[in-house]
Amino acid sequence: MARAARRAAEAAITLALVTLVVFALASTLPAGDDEDEHERALPPPYRAAVRAQFHLDDPWHVRYVRWLGDLSRGDLGISLREKRPVAAILRERLPVSLALNALALAAIVLVALPLGIAGAWRPASRSDRALGLATTALYAVPVFWAALLLQWVFAVRLRWLPLFGFAGAAHLVLPVVCLTYGGLAYVSRFVRTSLVEGTTGEGGRVARARGVGPVRFLLFHGLPQSAIPLLTLAGFLVPRLVGGALLVEEIFGIPGLGSLMFQSVLARDLPVVLALTLLSGAVTLAAMTGADLVAAWVDPRSRRVA
Amino acid sequence: MKLPGLVLGAGLLAGCAAAPPPPTRDVRVVLYAEPSSMSLIGNTDANSAQLASVISDGLIAYDAKGAYVPMVARAWEMSSDGLTLTFHLRDGVVWHDGQPVTSRDVAFTWEKVRDPATQAKSWISQFSDVSSVETPDEGTVVVRYVRPYADALDAWRVPLIPEHVAARDAKFLDGSFARHPVGCGPYRFASRKTGQDIVLEAFDRYWQGRPSVDRLVVKILGSDRTAFEALLLGDLDLMSVTPDLWREAKDSPRAARLARLLYFRLALWKVDWNQDGTNPYFGDPRVRRALIEAMDRGRFAESVALGLARPLSTTYPPESPWHDPRSAPIPYDPVDAARLLDEAGWKLPPGKKVRVRDGVPLRFTMLLPAGGQEIADRIAAWMQDSLARAGVDMSIEKLEWRAFQERRKSHAFQAAMASITVDPIADQFDLYHSSAGFNYGGFQDAEVDRLLEEGRVTVDPAARRAIYDRLQQRLAALEPLSVLFQFAQPILHDPRLQGVTPSPVGLFSFQPGPRAWRWAN
Amino acid sequence: MWRDLSVLRTGVILCALVALAAVLAPWLPVDPNRVDLARVLEPPSLAHWMGTDGLGRDVLARLAYGARVSLTVGVGTAAIALLIGLPLGALAGYRGGWWDATVSRAVEAVLCFPALLLALALLSIAPGWLRPLPEALRLALALGLVAWTPTARYLRAEFRRLRGSEAVHAARAAGAGGWRIAVRHLLPQGVAPVLVTMAFGAAAASLAEASLSFIGVGVSPPTASWGQMLYEALRHMGQAWWLAAFPGAALFVTVYGFNRLAEGIRDWLDPRPLLR
Repeated sequence: MARAARRAAEAAITLALVTLVVFALASTLPAGDDEDEHERALPPPYRAAVRAQFHLDDPWHVRYVRWLGDLSRGDLGISLREKRPVAAILRERLPVSLALNALALAAIVLVALPLGIAGAWRPASRSDRALGLATTALYAVPVFWAALLLQWVFAVRLRWLPLFGFAGAAHLVLPVVCLTYGGLAYVSRFVRTSLVEGTTGEGGRVARARGVGPVRFLLFHGLPQSAIPLLTLAGFLVPRLVGGALLVEEIFGIPGLGSLMFQSVLARDLPVVLALTLLSGAVTLAAMTGADLVAAWVDPRSRRVA
Repeated sequence: MKLPGLVLGAGLLAGCAAAPPPPTRDVRVVLYAEPSSMSLIGNTDANSAQLASVISDGLIAYDAKGAYVPMVARAWEMSSDGLTLTFHLRDGVVWHDGQPVTSRDVAFTWEKVRDPATQAKSWISQFSDVSSVETPDEGTVVVRYVRPYADALDAWRVPLIPEHVAARDAKFLDGSFARHPVGCGPYRFASRKTGQDIVLEAFDRYWQGRPSVDRLVVKILGSDRTAFEALLLGDLDLMSVTPDLWREAKDSPRAARLARLLYFRLALWKVDWNQDGTNPYFGDPRVRRALIEAMDRGRFAESVALGLARPLSTTYPPESPWHDPRSAPIPYDPVDAARLLDEAGWKLPPGKKVRVRDGVPLRFTMLLPAGGQEIADRIAAWMQDSLARAGVDMSIEKLEWRAFQERRKSHAFQAAMASITVDPIADQFDLYHSSAGFNYGGFQDAEVDRLLEEGRVTVDPAARRAIYDRLQQRLAALEPLSVLFQFAQPILHDPRLQGVTPSPVGLFSFQPGPRAWRWAN
Repeated sequence: MWRDLSVLRTGVILCALVALAAVLAPWLPVDPNRVDLARVLEPPSLAHWMGTDGLGRDVLARLAYGARVSLTVGVGTAAIALLIGLPLGALAGYRGGWWDATVSRAVEAVLCFPALLLALALLSIAPGWLRPLPEALRLALALGLVAWTPTARYLRAEFRRLRGSEAVHAARAAGAGGWRIAVRHLLPQGVAPVLVTMAFGAAAASLAEASLSFIGVGVSPPTASWGQMLYEALRHMGQAWWLAAFPGAALFVTVYGFNRLAEGIRDWLDPRPLLR
């Protein structure tokens, strides 16, 4: 418990530092004025009033302290781009990203697990190598190409799935596939390697020699051996997913946090960028801490010396 | 990924041999970015402005040619000194909730535009000379100006907002009005799912009659590719496309049954040349002209843009009512370009590729904004190649939009290319006047300044036309900034959707606009 | 016990192919930036072996020059990630204690940081002191600054393991100081993981470059990079298959090659699974 509390405190400090750097960095970026493309000059008094309203002329450390103050009261601020509360925007988009990323994470683990175990069953055999080849090949396909190709095949040609949007379960299939396939290589190889290691390098050979069937191997060797490393690994997958959904969201028209971050960075919408950083940071740190804690609890030898 | 301006996607009900009639008489269109606000006047970008013009009328509006037609105002007079504009409102115009539109609403709209909290970026500058708005009675609005401005009428296209609804919100941009706007236009705001779609319903008591199409469904999509596929699949009804999708639609059998419409928008692609003296190249009008003459714009427009762009050398395109018919785009003339450059002192040393003057090579950097029109990259690459053949070394620096804007405004550039949208009004003070903020190149000419100042306050149409013709001639001689192309906006739509007429100002913000759309059966 | 070098062989061959293309690019007779509006979007032919793009430029030449960009970004990112991750990971793993805690905090902080913001700040906004650097290197810098975390974590784990190995114990017992141990025993053992992470990192960076071009934050025109070519190919997706096929295949070969190289090195230097 004390350990968890200490980790939470460390996480809070990390996040505070990160937001500070984000604030400072974003403040150095050229902001430009928010003029429309017709290029009509904004009257100076008007521009001054807008800047004053959002305290845009204060030095960045002053604004940062003000933001911290608001945050301590639970106020995430007003989006500079949409001019409405950041919390409201997040409330709309969070469930979407949550659904997408949770499904993708589950899919990666669920698919990679059997793949890795299958590879460990007969290490260095043709099937093991073929699996390795296939997953590595998948990894090499850029996300936006896979997305457009899948969209074309399944939504346009075959018409099995909807083209874009976020209206139902069918809409999630292609986006989740796009977010999943890249991680398969790493995770399945990881599972395979830890399994092979755990059975002193022989993988399924010993089991087969003893007449143990694949199912028993899976249940009594595969799962126990790979569960813990997988959990730890899952902790590291989260940051990737949290940050990486942008392209998929743009192509499939999914109103998630990835595209929100992108638009907000382009628009210099600092309140939203900070809120998203906090959110994804908290999720990332929670996932990694959770993975560490579970690992430590199960296997005390792997506890960090620190 | 975000395209500036409204790019409408329409889905075409194509691909089925015998397509069934649409169940409800909806028209589904597309936007490529979430509108920044639904408050009609506040914090609007080009996308939300187009929607706003459908939800609420202004006192006047453009017609398909860019002339003004009376809307909520049935008549108006400008005083002879140009300081007082009087509007007479028509009877029978009601808000979507049934309340009548009165002069108080007009005054309220103006107050809201003025208020910095509203962030009415698209409109505020046009009202900057208004000193007061009086409402002597319910049907009359008297606007007083600080100084005469001949294009003062243009500002009153602003969508009107109802005082009795919007005044209740403490924070306009975050209030109930911004979430559910009420207007007096042909379509009523029905619902919005953020990031997905916006639904507008036909208003029964619209003063010009209920529009034929029951609902306008505006879908939000990230890429034009997706929208195009949606169009072909029948998930969208109307769409404007890029030249490459236009090419694909021409050749694709799935797109064969689509109706095609081509019209030129008031959207131009221009190059700003920095003439403030920090570089030795662009202070000389001969150099500016020569660089344009070195480019075969007609060929580019044909081969790459497939006729969806036309070479232009003025910021008064042919579709603008103020276009000088005697003006013509600078022709492709590499021989004359070489002559002009030689004359200006930039000569090609034997055996070398880059022109030199006093030991300085003609080598500059062109800034290019990212995320804009997709054809921009190709224009830049082609320009570099064309100029290289003329002995000019141009390198390209692509920057994110705001960084690009910052460099332009602070004159920290040599040349910069970007798109620009002009209005069908005469005044272009902000582009060319030596004091103007959008005169990025720092161009200065006494006669141009004088003509611009005069044109702003001259009310008599004949005198005005003479001034602006003279201005265009002078600008053509000096070439302070170089317009390269004007872009067309090809539209693909379901052939059973009739009455789709474009205008240079877009598909929505003119009369009749979407009111004229109707399904054939 | 098996020692399978076929993976390594595949990796080396593929990577060498790509490197060869990059090196030989300037010797090609065709200018990759030469615009020819008369031959826009031509399919592969004798005159243009891989066809032409939307401005009539030769795809093969652009592909070869694109190899330079992709390799620079790939290897550059891996190098920068290594430059940051190696010392941090080694210190954390070998010294433990305070070093370990600090490095872990740093890793977490970087993982929480919005990478997009950093990429935009370094690339599109291009602060003055960065501008002299070629764009491919700027890309590598932006990517490397956020990509070092897996390297650090991996090396930390490896060095921790090595710290407890017999060889090190023996050396310490013989009275060798920290530096000697590090140089004579740890570094040689550490080379393999280092190479492995570099190769993986290069693969990831090449893919990232493609994605960055897709959102418009890549190299400026007219520079050919495979990501940029794929982005342009999208415009003509239905009609000009060669615009996507060749850069796509090239990217695939490069990423796959780097991955195979990484795994191959790993297999070669640590052939016995017992030690892994």
